[in-house]
Amino acid sequence: MSGLQSQRRRDGATRAILLTAALAVFLLPLVWTALAALGLRANNNTRPPSWLGSPTLDHFRDVGIAEPSFWQELATSTVSAACAAALTVAASLPAAYGLARSHFRGDRLLTQGFLVLASLPAMAYVIPLSDLMRRAQLVDTFAGVVLTEAAVTAPLAIYVLHGALSQLSSEWEEAAWLDGAGLLRVIGQIVVPLAAPSIAATAIIMFVLDWNLLLVPLVLTAGEIKTIPLAMSDFFTFERELEWPTAAAALIISLVPVAVLVMVFHRVLDRFALNVPRVD
Amino acid sequence: MRLTRRDRLVLFAPVAVLLTGWFVLPALIGLFATFTTYAPFGATIRFSGLGNYATVLQDREFGAAVRNIAVFTIVAVPLELGIGFALAYLLRRPIRGRGMWRVLLLVPWLVSPIANGVMWHFLFASATGVIDFVLGWLGRPDIPSPIGNAGLALPVTIAVEVWRIAPFVTFLLLPGLSSIPTERWEDATLNGAPWIRRVLDVALPSLRPLLLAITMLLIGLSLGTFDGVLILTGGGPGTSTVTPALYSYRRAFGVNDWPAGAASAWLIAAGVFGAGLVYIRAVRTGRSA
Repeated sequence: MSGLQSQRRRDGATRAILLTAALAVFLLPLVWTALAALGLRANNNTRPPSWLGSPTLDHFRDVGIAEPSFWQELATSTVSAACAAALTVAASLPAAYGLARSHFRGDRLLTQGFLVLASLPAMAYVIPLSDLMRRAQLVDTFAGVVLTEAAVTAPLAIYVLHGALSQLSSEWEEAAWLDGAGLLRVIGQIVVPLAAPSIAATAIIMFVLDWNLLLVPLVLTAGEIKTIPLAMSDFFTFERELEWPTAAAALIISLVPVAVLVMVFHRVLDRFALNVPRVD
Repeated sequence: MRLTRRDRLVLFAPVAVLLTGWFVLPALIGLFATFTTYAPFGATIRFSGLGNYATVLQDREFGAAVRNIAVFTIVAVPLELGIGFALAYLLRRPIRGRGMWRVLLLVPWLVSPIANGVMWHFLFASATGVIDFVLGWLGRPDIPSPIGNAGLALPVTIAVEVWRIAPFVTFLLLPGLSSIPTERWEDATLNGAPWIRRVLDVALPSLRPLLLAITMLLIGLSLGTFDGVLILTGGGPGTSTVTPALYSYRRAFGVNDWPAGAASAWLIAAGVFGAGLVYIRAVRTGRSA
């Protein structure tokens, strides 16, 4: 077995090198942006290229000057994405449980259908949706944006939660049913605690998806409710001469909340899986 | 199981309300509207049959959009899967801090497509960009931003999207890949199978449902490409990076040609549903085989 072991050690070293290189490639553009946000810019007019400026946090302040309502928009983004993610998970969890614990004709087709729905681009239905929401007086309201974002991400949440709940052994639930517990108690006291890591991981991914949505807030708002992607796109459509360090600072600010969330909960995210293959 | 019909009704009710009101109903109303001259502020509505679809399909800009998105999907999806798989393959065995590697690699996906467009717009720019910085060090002259070049705009847009999505594929593939028992890899290694055989014979069979699901999501994502090009190229130069979603948005909200916008949006949906049928068939044949 020593041949296998030494090969494994060699493999390990190669893997570490390749992974570090890949990570460097994937993060380089963001590091470049972060440096610009901190006032360190490349100067390509000299030969060889040099660096301009000294480290400063001024550009983060400039964001608020260039776009006075930026901090307000940051708050809107955070609250609406959090509400939408919570609503998505709350509505999807019972459905996913129903799918995982019952067998009826076409249950598999329904699950796969949710994945197809999750793949449907928002563009396919936002045009009539914007009209409908206008008629329902929900345009440019917080509720309108949150409900739509929740609906947009619900099919994916059902698919993911269905996968997680199917993995769960139903022993505890059986015991609870025998004890005479009702549906809500079984879900609240057995299913949710047992599946908590998967549920939290799903909620985090839904938050990221909602945080970055553009089309939904774009067609459902008229200036009153503004999220960060919307503000960025407005800014760039109308005032293209934005300074690079200011844009970089805005970009870094928009990335930090989701990056911190994902880093802090990286152990929880270990439980995020589309569907785990059965090992036979 | 103990779930009664009534239980199921209770369980499905919340999501049914949400999806009907904010997803299915608008989509269906939109579908009916595409066969009429309906517009939100229009005075009269007439039945127009397939007229709107004919208008869209005859529009050369839409033709260019379909060509672009076909190239985009055919190139981007396999690249995203390939690079995503390669990275997941490197991470498949437990190494120190694998969870952290997995989320660090996820960071490009966390950047919103809009912010992404802003970022690459500047990274490609001459004065401060990363490309000219490297070229400068190599003693080469600056090159103009490739997004202004009709021949390069589409490949560059694809590359930027692959940069953003490939790490997400890794994130999705890793749980599946690392759940394959170590003995299987070692058996294959001891049998002297080269790594390509190990991937084809060990990884792919057990990852098939997962790979199909990811491919489905990627195809949908690609066919709906909108915010990825909105800032970066705006569809240009000319029509070299226009996508059906961008076309549809501009028709409906830019020039108030509502019927053409809704009709082209439904053509995107038709494309995704077509891919969905293939996906569902592929999952089924895999199970019976």
